[in-house]
Amino acid sequence: MAHAAEHEYTTTGLSNRKMLMWVFLGSDCLFFGALIATYMVYRGQSLVGPYPVDIISVPVTTISTFVLLMSSFAMVQALAATNADNKRAIVGWLLATAFLGSIFIGFQIFEFNSFKNEGLTLAGNLFGATFFTLTGFHGAHVTLGIIWLLCMAVLGAKGRLGPGTALDVEILGLYWHFVDIVWIVIFTLLYLIGGFDAGPVALPGG
Amino acid sequence: MAHETERDVHHPTFKQYLLIAMILFAITIVEFLLIWDRVGIQDDLGATKIPLLVGLSVVKFYIVIMFYMHLRFDNKLFTRIFLGGLFLAFLVGLALLGLFTAMNGDQRSYALDRAIPYDEHAETQKVAEATTAETEKPPVAAGPVAITVGAKGDELAFDTDSLTADSGAEVTITFTNPSTVNTHNLVIVEAGTKDAVATDGTAAGPANNWVPPGDSRVIVNTILIGPGESGEVTFTAPAPGAYQFVCTFPGHNFTMFGNFVVN
Repeated sequence: MAHAAEHEYTTTGLSNRKMLMWVFLGSDCLFFGALIATYMVYRGQSLVGPYPVDIISVPVTTISTFVLLMSSFAMVQALAATNADNKRAIVGWLLATAFLGSIFIGFQIFEFNSFKNEGLTLAGNLFGATFFTLTGFHGAHVTLGIIWLLCMAVLGAKGRLGPGTALDVEILGLYWHFVDIVWIVIFTLLYLIGGFDAGPVALPGG
Repeated sequence: MAHETERDVHHPTFKQYLLIAMILFAITIVEFLLIWDRVGIQDDLGATKIPLLVGLSVVKFYIVIMFYMHLRFDNKLFTRIFLGGLFLAFLVGLALLGLFTAMNGDQRSYALDRAIPYDEHAETQKVAEATTAETEKPPVAAGPVAITVGAKGDELAFDTDSLTADSGAEVTITFTNPSTVNTHNLVIVEAGTKDAVATDGTAAGPANNWVPPGDSRVIVNTILIGPGESGEVTFTAPAPGAYQFVCTFPGHNFTMFGNFVVN
């Protein structure tokens, strides 16, 4: 293996950059954990509509969830191609990952837009506030990932990626898969379970 | 670099990655099949499906971090760091849920108790300003009456020392607290009882808004209004006679009161 070029001496014997990414991902768990918990606290507490059951389309989001899962598969293939030093495959899989991620974002833009047209806004009710904040921040993570993927694909096209720089692709992959697992949680809680929520059952004096 | 080679050997092959992807797809399909018959229907899914859905997503989560993020083949320290963050995230979530559900009981009634109707509020205030600002005379109408009272800045005093209403009228008092530091309430009591009620209110504690619960001397009271906040209370004006309005926040009753006259 041509890893000798980047032989690092660190106190843990592990790559500091990879460690940094894992520490970041661990802290990002807290970030999303707080947003998800906020959503759960206010779940079913909106006093005015639209409520999740009025606007959430589980079938549409199941498709975009498939797309994001598929992008994770493309990402591991990009790393495998990097380790195998297959220059064309590296660029191909990286672009495929970015493309699938873009489709996911396209679905999200479509969803946000149709929700807005049905009256759900960031300031309209608790559901809108917590939903848009949580999924919006996830979408921002995906968008950042797409930009990173495209930058990496440019490096790949210049022939700068290979076994010696596999760590760069691996760290990008960690970030991308993390975005995927966050979506696994959001999809389950906000769509599969929370998608059938409505407003308060009875409002005294209402 | 024996360590590196060893790791690469354990990396899943293309076929294994494909199998993992198919398992993830299959789980997502199962999840969808579990709920698809409920699409568009308001429902809480029942007690069996929710744990099942949570369980399936945990499995997906596990597969992705173990294989796609190769924690299974990597140094255990990475796993510990990540799971440490995840564990803290769970604690944050539990703390928030506990704060909002356990300590206040039902958050719905908690919110409703403190809800201020936004649209009507602005209108009642306008009407009230027009009535009180000019004359401070009793409103002529026997119908619903709106009265606005405020605290006087940061002082322990109301901005008026006299309020009036017609017996039997439906009165809505909007109490605004412009203070930057003090919390107040507004309690209407029978004449001459303000200090006694405040003493008993202090014993009742802030959970009762510093008002003795079920006290026959108390006609009506607002909840505690924090600095910069406002609240309102609606009641039917009692039998004609003299009453007092007072803030029963401990210590405030000596300077913060006025006469409430029912004609």
